[in-house]
This record gives sequence, structure tokens and C-alpha cells, in this order.
Amino acid sequence: MQIGKISLHTTRVAKTASNNATINQLATNPFGVSFKGNVIQADVFEGASKSNIAENIAEKGKLFASAVVSGINNFNESFKSRMNSVVSFGKKVTTNVFDTIERIGNTEITFDMTGLKNKLFPDRQYSVKNLANKPVDELKSMWTDLSAVEVA
Amino acid sequence: MENNQKIRNIIQALGEHKDSQAAIDLLTELGTNSPDDEIRELTAQTLIKKNTHESLRVVLISKGKGINDLSARVAMASINELLSLKDKSEAIKILDDTIKLHSEEDVRNTARSVRALMTFSS
Repeated sequence: MQIGKISLHTTRVAKTASNNATINQLATNPFGVSFKGNVIQADVFEGASKSNIAENIAEKGKLFASAVVSGINNFNESFKSRMNSVVSFGKKVTTNVFDTIERIGNTEITFDMTGLKNKLFPDRQYSVKNLANKPVDELKSMWTDLSAVEVA
Repeated sequence: MENNQKIRNIIQALGEHKDSQAAIDLLTELGTNSPDDEIRELTAQTLIKKNTHESLRVVLISKGKGINDLSARVAMASINELLSLKDKSEAIKILDDTIKLHSEEDVRNTARSVRALMTFSS
């Protein structure tokens, strides 16, 4: 009789050991690995969790989708407003460029070469050759100015 | 370039100027009345080089100008310029008229002396 008890106990021990091995295999369920000596199958939790995850995903998906849609709408509006400002800026630049080109076209550019030469070579305007080509009245005023400076 | 050199260049330019009468008038007005001996000397030489009746009259018959200048330097420079002229006919004619007709004795005496020099140098 005792032998039988022992053997039963041994069997239980052995079963427990085998259960532990199963637990190790079912590592996805860290809680309630056993219930009244029976190992709770991971499928039960997996099934339950699968349905929850699916629902969560569905709900989150909806939220995400609505967020994405609203985000896209906001992006479109901001993009449109930015594009409008860019287009208006481009139009303004184009107008300014055309105005400038028109202004350049209407501007008469004169280049006073004699004045430039006189500034670059101040003594050159007092060369005999240059002076001989000037009107006498101009030479008179030049002479008078030089004499006034000389006297002062 | 100094102002005096600029004035010298103006005087030279007036000597070559196409508007001869206006140039002579300006040389007479500003050059012969300049307080600077050097400017008066150069003006007299320029007027003589022009060798026209108008330009020679200024330096030959005007009191205090050209050969009649109070500065010996200016007077001698004028005489030297007259003597170096290739064509002295106009100058001799004016000097002869001055010797005969000018009211100022000093001017007539100076003209006579210069006329004699020109006769000997030609």
C-alpha cells in the first residue's frame, strides 16, 4: 500500500516535472501557469489576447486613420497657403524684374569721358594741346582762377 | 603741376589757338598786365611769335608793355624775340610808324633803338 502511495507521489512529482517543462515551453504566459494542478494552456490567453489586440488595433487604426486624414487636410491647407504666398512672391519678383528691365531700357546712360580723364589725369587738362582746343572764354576763366589762387 | 606752369601752358595754347584775335585780346588783357615778370615775358614772346599786326602793335607801341616794359628782363626778351623773327617786315613797318607818329617820346626812342638793332641783325 505504501509502495502504491509512493508511486503515486512519484507520479505526481514526475507530472509536475513534466508540467514545468511545458511551462518553460509556454513562456508567453508568465501568470497563472497552473490552475488546480493543471497547466493552463497558453492558447486560452493567446486567444483572448488576440481578440483584444485585434480590437485595439482596429480602434487604434481608426484613430490613426482619422488623425492621418485630419493631418492630411491640415497639411493641404497649410501647403495651399504656402504655395499661394510662394506664387504671389514669384509674381512680385517677376513684376519687379520686368519693371527693372523696362527702367534699364528707358534709362539713357551717358559717359563723360572728358570728365573722367580729367579726374584720372588732373594735369592732362592743362596740356597745351588740350588747352588749344578749348574756347578762349574758358581759358580766360581758368587763367583768372589760377591767378586768384596764386595771389591768395 | 604748379599754377604758374598751368598759366604758362595757357599762354602757349593761346599762341596756337585758332581764334587768333580772341587769343590776342586775352593775352593783352591778362598777360601783359600780369604782376609776374615771367608771365609778362612769356606773353610778349607769344604775341611776337604770332607776327600779326594786332599782336605786334601791343608789344611795340604800348607804354609799359613788350619792348617798353619797365622790367629789363621782359624788354630784352621781347627784343630778342623780334630779332629772331624770320619775317620782320610787319614789325619794321610798325616801328617806323611808331618813330614817326607816337606821342610818347620814350616809346619813340625805344622804337628807334629796336629798329636799329633789327636793321643790323637782318
